[in-house]
Amino acid sequence: MIKAIGGLLLRAVVVLSGTAILTFALLWHAPGDPAQAIAMARFDALLTEDVIDQVREEVGLNANFWQAFWAWLGPLLRFDFGYSAVTGRPVWPDLWAAMTYTVPLALAGLAIGLAVSLPLAVLATKRPGGLLDRAAVGVASLGAAIPAYWLGLLLILLFAVQLRWLPAMGARTTAHAILPAVTLGLGVAASLTRIIRSGILEARGQPFLPAIQRRGVTERALARDHIAPHAAIPVVTLFGLELAFLLEGAVLVEVIFGRPGLGTFLVQAIVARDFPHVQAVVVVTALAFVVVNLLIDIIYRVIDPRIGAENA
Amino acid sequence: MLKVNNLVVKRGPRVTLDDINLSLQAGETLAVVGESGAGKSTLIATILGLLKPASGEITWNGQPVCEAHPALVMQEPRAAFNPVLSLRRSVMEPIVAQGTVLGIGCLERLCARLELPSEMLDRRPNQVSIGQAQRAGILRALIAAAPLVLFDEPLSALDAVTQKHTAQLISDLQSEEGFAALIVTHDIGYAVAHADQIMVLKDGRVEETTDAQTFALNPVSPYCRALRDAAISLGALEAVT
Amino acid sequence: MRSVLILVVCLIALAVLGPLLAPYDPTAIDIPNRLSAPNATFPLGTDALGRDILSRLLYGARWSLGLAFLISLLSLTIGTAVGLLATLGGKIADWSLMRATDTFLAFPELVAAVVIAGLMGAGTWSLIFALSVTGWMRYARVVRGIGLSLQSRGYVVQARLAGLPGWSIARWHYLPSLIPSLTVVWTGMFSRAILGISALGFLGFGVQPPNPEWGAMLLDARVHMRSTPLQMTWPGVAVVICVLAINLAGDALRDALAKEGSHE
Repeated sequence: MIKAIGGLLLRAVVVLSGTAILTFALLWHAPGDPAQAIAMARFDALLTEDVIDQVREEVGLNANFWQAFWAWLGPLLRFDFGYSAVTGRPVWPDLWAAMTYTVPLALAGLAIGLAVSLPLAVLATKRPGGLLDRAAVGVASLGAAIPAYWLGLLLILLFAVQLRWLPAMGARTTAHAILPAVTLGLGVAASLTRIIRSGILEARGQPFLPAIQRRGVTERALARDHIAPHAAIPVVTLFGLELAFLLEGAVLVEVIFGRPGLGTFLVQAIVARDFPHVQAVVVVTALAFVVVNLLIDIIYRVIDPRIGAENA
Repeated sequence: MLKVNNLVVKRGPRVTLDDINLSLQAGETLAVVGESGAGKSTLIATILGLLKPASGEITWNGQPVCEAHPALVMQEPRAAFNPVLSLRRSVMEPIVAQGTVLGIGCLERLCARLELPSEMLDRRPNQVSIGQAQRAGILRALIAAAPLVLFDEPLSALDAVTQKHTAQLISDLQSEEGFAALIVTHDIGYAVAHADQIMVLKDGRVEETTDAQTFALNPVSPYCRALRDAAISLGALEAVT
Repeated sequence: MRSVLILVVCLIALAVLGPLLAPYDPTAIDIPNRLSAPNATFPLGTDALGRDILSRLLYGARWSLGLAFLISLLSLTIGTAVGLLATLGGKIADWSLMRATDTFLAFPELVAAVVIAGLMGAGTWSLIFALSVTGWMRYARVVRGIGLSLQSRGYVVQARLAGLPGWSIARWHYLPSLIPSLTVVWTGMFSRAILGISALGFLGFGVQPPNPEWGAMLLDARVHMRSTPLQMTWPGVAVVICVLAINLAGDALRDALAKEGSHE
């Protein structure tokens, strides 16, 4: 057990090192002269070679790859993300501020997604193959095909432009968060409905259920003790994927609704070629992913030691 | 000659084969019997080089055994052939892979001997009977002139009539082609009738190695005696008194 | 099943024949007729530069479907190669390749694609590179999973005993068994690629103007959302129809394969 968890930890460390190298390689090999881009973004004026060289020196772009990598990694390990190449402000406070917008948005999206998909899936599986079931599957398939950015625009068009019920752009009040959260939540709901539905159907197919039913256990107890826990397994397994979906969705939704957050932070940083900002977003998301997946794996092994025995 | 010396195989912390010694001459047949889980399949896999032993050595005429390209005839005849390729392609695989030259008429001669019409080879594994698939499996072992052929329960997937026929065929072919045969089986009757030597495995250890006659007449260990008596009472072996 | 197939064939035909069916040049600017509502001359109206939206949609199908096809095929190739190497290359190769796969999976696909495409400089080639390089991991995992189960199959053991070289085993014994599952994964990745292309287009990191790509068209239309809301619906509808058709085709294919598998 401890050995298995040790293996998982080693794996996580290897993967994290890989992500660090990959991130840095990407920044390093990005075409164009980053120093010039940075200098232009910062001074927005006629540039002399001196200014560009000065920027190059300052940002540490003069070394060779591995030197620069180690120089880059050191502060990163201390969670020091440096200073913005454009504004010169420290990265971390701005990044943190962006996260305080994105994380609640993502959680709200997840909550809406669960609130929609759970009842829908339970209703649909009352009679598998019935009208309601087919309708639910149809809606879920359609939902999975609708891009988040388009759905967001349609919602703006309907609720902000036509009906004028809700504000569309910005993040000043809670009302501003409704449309973005719903946009995100509906996308999550589409994929969760299918996952939960097949989870319940599979749980219903467990071979020992008829025997328990014959013993006179109530429907409610059966659902609580035997179906729900089993159906929850794929939902937990796919949580990593859902997290990715939430984050990707949040990026697009923030751009559409003009909300501050990780998405707008990232897009602005890319446009301005603000490398410290870009790398901070990439490193933080990768770290979050690796940690979440590691936790899922460990929880799994604690629950069921058989899992992973074959690829240990 | 196949020599296995002090072979130990471990799977994780568990010892699946413990101190196995055996030798097998060209032209000879060794039957390995034992209940399931005794380590018979592990022995085959280790001799073929599919599993790494924890210690001990396996040689053919003093060389590593894989250089002799031993052949394997499997328990599930159809599963031994790629379902989407013709039998011919699979049968010719050792020739192609080892770059050997097939003698003129060799294929035809072996086909005739195995009673496999040549056009049968152009079919896919699910288009022939299990018995035919098993004979194609034997053909694949013989065509590259493997000096050592391992049979993993060669009869257990076949029906009674085909079993008898195939057992006789293996026996005859062996004396004609002169390969060494190691046959894993749980069928004591078959082992006694067709093998020169019988090795009994129990829980990964060699219980006893004797020639077939001694095994049938007078096994030494109580376990072997029980095995023999069980075979007699099931009618698989005639009582010899 | 059949209706889904017909739909998919129609979409492909539209993408291939688009230029023949399009009434106008998709990049021809016609300022006097800008932002016109659908009418007899412009069936779906015109955009802010007076370009015919129907023509742009039809040409756009080539960009979206064609690029998605290319991208999903590229990532299929990379992923299959990685998966096969992992299964056939021994324990060390397996471990390192799978950790590399985990590493790539540690970045959310779209976020990574945005970063790569954005840093490489917006354009079609960076788009292709970004989405292929972030899309191969699922194939690699599927191929390795099936590959591991194939390793103990009788005919694979026989091929190894015969001394067949690894690439031959991969070609003759692994690939045929992989094709059905890979096709199912491929349909999923194909529709994801369509969504990815349009998302990047919408963010401005994808296909560049004046090329008529659906995501980029949506970006253009967004500005004029209040005056001509219809203009914004068309590219979205096109994306939804394509993604839905391909997903349904993939589902049907998966069900058909599962049925076939259960008959064996």
